Amino acid sequence: MLINDIVKKIFFKNESKDTAKKRLQFALVYDRLEVSDEALKKMQNEIVAVISRYFVIDQDQMKLNITRHDDLSALMFNTPIISSKPRQRMA
Amino acid sequence: MQSKIIVISSGKGGVGKTTATASIGAALAMKDKKVAVVDMDIGLRNLDVVMGLENRIVFNIVDLAQGKCKVQQVAIKDRRISNLFLIPASQSDNKDVLTPDDMIRVSKELRESFDYILMDCPAGIERGFENAVAAADEAVVVCTPEVSSIRDADRVIGLLYSKQIPPKLLVNRIVPARVERGDMLSHQDVVDVLSIDLVGLVEEDEQIVIATNTGNPIVLQNNSKAGQAFKRIAMRLNGQPDLAIEVPRVSKSFWQKIGSRISFGKWE
Repeated sequence: MLINDIVKKIFFKNESKDTAKKRLQFALVYDRLEVSDEALKKMQNEIVAVISRYFVIDQDQMKLNITRHDDLSALMFNTPIISSKPRQRMA
Repeated sequence: MQSKIIVISSGKGGVGKTTATASIGAALAMKDKKVAVVDMDIGLRNLDVVMGLENRIVFNIVDLAQGKCKVQQVAIKDRRISNLFLIPASQSDNKDVLTPDDMIRVSKELRESFDYILMDCPAGIERGFENAVAAADEAVVVCTPEVSSIRDADRVIGLLYSKQIPPKLLVNRIVPARVERGDMLSHQDVVDVLSIDLVGLVEEDEQIVIATNTGNPIVLQNNSKAGQAFKRIAMRLNGQPDLAIEVPRVSKSFWQKIGSRISFGKWE
């Protein structure tokens, strides 16, 4: 253990600022993804408006979620489609 | 010249906003610009003591916004630097006494009298922040090389962009020896994390405390590294944006340099 530490000290720099930088970069990724309820609601309305141009959807059943994992984050929008709007699909 | 409103902000408290405002304001005034520094920390004013003008206050920014006085009455002339004026905060009100609309109105008046108007923003991102940035053309975000300060700076930078106020970063209180040891984030690390342009780097300087104790401008001290750094920041804000950024370094003798190269844990 002791020898290991000495070897580490000689060959690798173990600097606290590197830890700080990594932690900050992760924290900021999460911080920047955080969306207020108000913004989320607004985004949902805008997405619904776009989809509604092409499909009739069940607005009571749809769900908008942001999920986070260690290495990725995803925006999930789930909605049942009741029918398409064929007349406008070509537009 | 067209007048410019620059807000000095940070999110976190205690990183040196007020000192930066006083110093950059003084440096701009020394360049023959007419400068107003405005204390926007209503209820917790401090720019007046930092500048040594605390016993000259008659009116304040709230009085001006409420029409109780004129710009010429509220602006306190600095003792040493002509062209430098302080507009103090009120100490008895709270931040809600002003609105961003009030500040836009007041700023129009101020623009007629000054070349530069520096807004010393309070800590936080609530009403005090909203008021300070309301009429700003550009922003200087102050942070220290510490995680909490950098995180708060990121939040403020995001808010400033959303208000179409372009921010630049001032990294304050750099301790070159600690950066070299790897115990403090370097300015490059901070820039990497925040991805924003620098306006200047200021190193930790004991003379700042002395200058604040006595209420004297640090930019008048030619032997103060921080004072000289603030002067260069003022030049970058005043039409010389490409003036090279000087990185604070440890001053070492030849043998010390050799020593640090061959010591354990410093191999690269």
